[in-house]
Amino acid sequence: MKHPIAHPTAAPVDDTEAYRAPRAFAPSNVVLAEPEFDATADDTLILPPPRRMGWLTRLAWTTGGILVSAGLGLAADRLINDLFAANEWLGWLGLGVLGAFLVAVLALVTREIFALRRLRVLDALKRDAASATAENDAHRAKKVVDDLTNIYSARPDLARARQQVADNIPHLFDGHETIALAERSLMAPLDARAKSLTAASARRVALVTAVSPRAMVDIAFVIYESIRLAGAIAALYGARPGLFGFFRLTGAVLAHLAVTGGLVLTDGVVEQLVGQGIAAKVSARLGEGVVNGLMTVRVGIAAMRVVRPLPFETQKQPMVRDFIPELTKLAADPK
Amino acid sequence: MPNPPTTIVDELGIALSNLADAATGAFTPTLRLGVTGLSRAGKTIFITALVHNLLTGGRMPGFAPLAEGRFIGAKLAEYPDATIPRFAYEQHLAALTGKTPFWPEGTRRISQLRLVLKFQSKHWYSGMTGPSTINLDIVDYPGEWLLDLPLLGLSFAEWSAEALERARRLDSGKEAGPFIQLLEEIDPLKAANDVDAERLAVAFTDYLRRSREHGALSTLPPGRFLLPGDLEGSPALTFAPLPPQQRQATRGNSLYAMLEGRYESYKDQVVRPFFRDHFARLDRQIVLVDTLRALNAGPTAVADLETALTAVLACFRQGETNPLLRPFVRKIDRILFAATKADHVHHTSHDRLESILNRLVSNASKRGRFAGAETKSIALAGIRATREGTITEAGETLPTIIGTPMAGETLDGPTYDGKTEIALFPGDLPEPPDSLFEDGRPVELNFLRFTPPQTLERNASGDVVLPHIRFDRALDYLVGDWLA
Repeated sequence: MKHPIAHPTAAPVDDTEAYRAPRAFAPSNVVLAEPEFDATADDTLILPPPRRMGWLTRLAWTTGGILVSAGLGLAADRLINDLFAANEWLGWLGLGVLGAFLVAVLALVTREIFALRRLRVLDALKRDAASATAENDAHRAKKVVDDLTNIYSARPDLARARQQVADNIPHLFDGHETIALAERSLMAPLDARAKSLTAASARRVALVTAVSPRAMVDIAFVIYESIRLAGAIAALYGARPGLFGFFRLTGAVLAHLAVTGGLVLTDGVVEQLVGQGIAAKVSARLGEGVVNGLMTVRVGIAAMRVVRPLPFETQKQPMVRDFIPELTKLAADPK
Repeated sequence: MPNPPTTIVDELGIALSNLADAATGAFTPTLRLGVTGLSRAGKTIFITALVHNLLTGGRMPGFAPLAEGRFIGAKLAEYPDATIPRFAYEQHLAALTGKTPFWPEGTRRISQLRLVLKFQSKHWYSGMTGPSTINLDIVDYPGEWLLDLPLLGLSFAEWSAEALERARRLDSGKEAGPFIQLLEEIDPLKAANDVDAERLAVAFTDYLRRSREHGALSTLPPGRFLLPGDLEGSPALTFAPLPPQQRQATRGNSLYAMLEGRYESYKDQVVRPFFRDHFARLDRQIVLVDTLRALNAGPTAVADLETALTAVLACFRQGETNPLLRPFVRKIDRILFAATKADHVHHTSHDRLESILNRLVSNASKRGRFAGAETKSIALAGIRATREGTITEAGETLPTIIGTPMAGETLDGPTYDGKTEIALFPGDLPEPPDSLFEDGRPVELNFLRFTPPQTLERNASGDVVLPHIRFDRALDYLVGDWLA
């Protein structure tokens, strides 16, 4: 008979330190793991301003500019000297022509600068309007509307709209309402005209494509018509772009088309297929015309979105499908 | 679980009326707008402003159909129910725009109005149909009567318990004293007699009237005791709450049984028809709340207002309607909560006013949203009585409102005669609204009552332009989508 024996299998664990007693700390010493709610408006909701030039690019442009202008100055100096050497009155004449040329260039440059600034002002207005709507900031909204009426102050076609805005502004207390009023009164008539410009342009493009003998002709016409349309829309919204302003505008429109091309495509893909299908059955050239017209419509819409000084809030964004009736009208009954 | 406010017969009647409406409304639909608000919340002013602004195409840039140029016009039309007085729009407007403008007196009876609105729809088929019309039906009524709606779900014993508890609260001791005393003298189980019933009813009515005047309290049903209309002195209005009794001890001819019977007939013959005819078939609702008056009176009044609003709004039919049942069922699918008299504070305080309103109606709006209705809150003034300005005092710029206080209003000493215009800084509204509901908060706010605007602009066709605050947005929310 055996006695019961107990063997320990593991060393005993001293667990007095396993439990931690509750303690209180001052909140200033705490490293916050969970950020507090920040009530200020989220910046990501508003488009960031476009990126400026990098310093390297700027350096290259500046130094290049200095060299070129130095060369031009030297050339002009030589020319005048040569002219004086040949004959005195010829020299004086050359000097006068040079002066007139410089004055003209200076005037052109000033105009370009103003035009560029105006484009930038419209951009800034759009950003301000978006943030005033998001934050419901009445003060900033009033400033935006004041700037806007200043831009349009010389426009006789908007006199009544301006008066309407001026009459109603003192009775509004909300930022988004103020912006909505300006959009309804000032933008809506311009939107309608921009749309009719776009539609007319698209009709012309479609017609020319349908009857043109060579592909090169319609490509040239599409490019010409697109440029004209973008310029007309920019002028309509008060941008009045000059040459360089126009380059910027074209760049912005192209960038917009590249970014939103896919979106616009899905918006209009059904209509495109339908339009192309029916029109192409009638004639292949007519089908191409409709497609080119749609392309012009997209340029017009992109230009509207780029230069319009207020974001689309109360008014509907223009869509490709809004223009389909115009184009099919042409396809059915080409005048 | 409280009893439903209507009987099966009522429900059948409501469903049949809805069906009739759906049949006649196939071409001209009818939008029933419920303007809800306790007494002095500004219902009459809101309706007058609504009618006037729609009739004259007033200054409403936020009302989309008008701003987009699709709203053609409105006219007053004959109301289908010939037994109910018409809303006295012309008289109210004359009062507001006369030589010495004054606010219309409190509403003492029910009245109705139908407006026909003509507009061009935005839909693609509008080119084929031309302009469309809709009827807009509005009812004005004394706000006191609204307090009766929760009674529909309460029995006599339940209502008595609530009313007596309210009367015995410490702060209503002064007003309720005589009534409580009388209640102790009279044995509810003794044989019924009209003298005792009348004495009780008179004492109870006195208590209700006094606590409304002194304490600015809102939860004081039954509302017809305060404003009897043509029922004054009738048996249906001669009752009072009694302490609870053992069921078997009450004999059929006791005082208790008599008052209970009268309470039931009050419910059946006064409250239920009012509810069935005017509130059971609404499409849209605006709840007007006079936040400022309650704020002036202190935390008890604020808490009381919250209770009253929650109880009243629970009676309405809110939520989405099943599309298949739409011909039979009408429900409120949009509720707008509005803090009225926003012109009595500077516009920089409107945000805070809205957050106080949100806190006040949070129970009611949660209930509405749960049922599927859309809700929104807004600070508005149907008719704007003040202008705004700033004043610099000791280097500090204070936002002020400029207007003419009504005769008899006082602030820090001087009493105004109703003719002098002053600039008033009414004090800052508290930022976290919860502090308004706490007891013991000193009343630091003082909102004076102002007379209607003294001089009014006229538009090109000679109609008065009524100034307002956010009224256009309220209207857009309530009826804008029906005019889409």
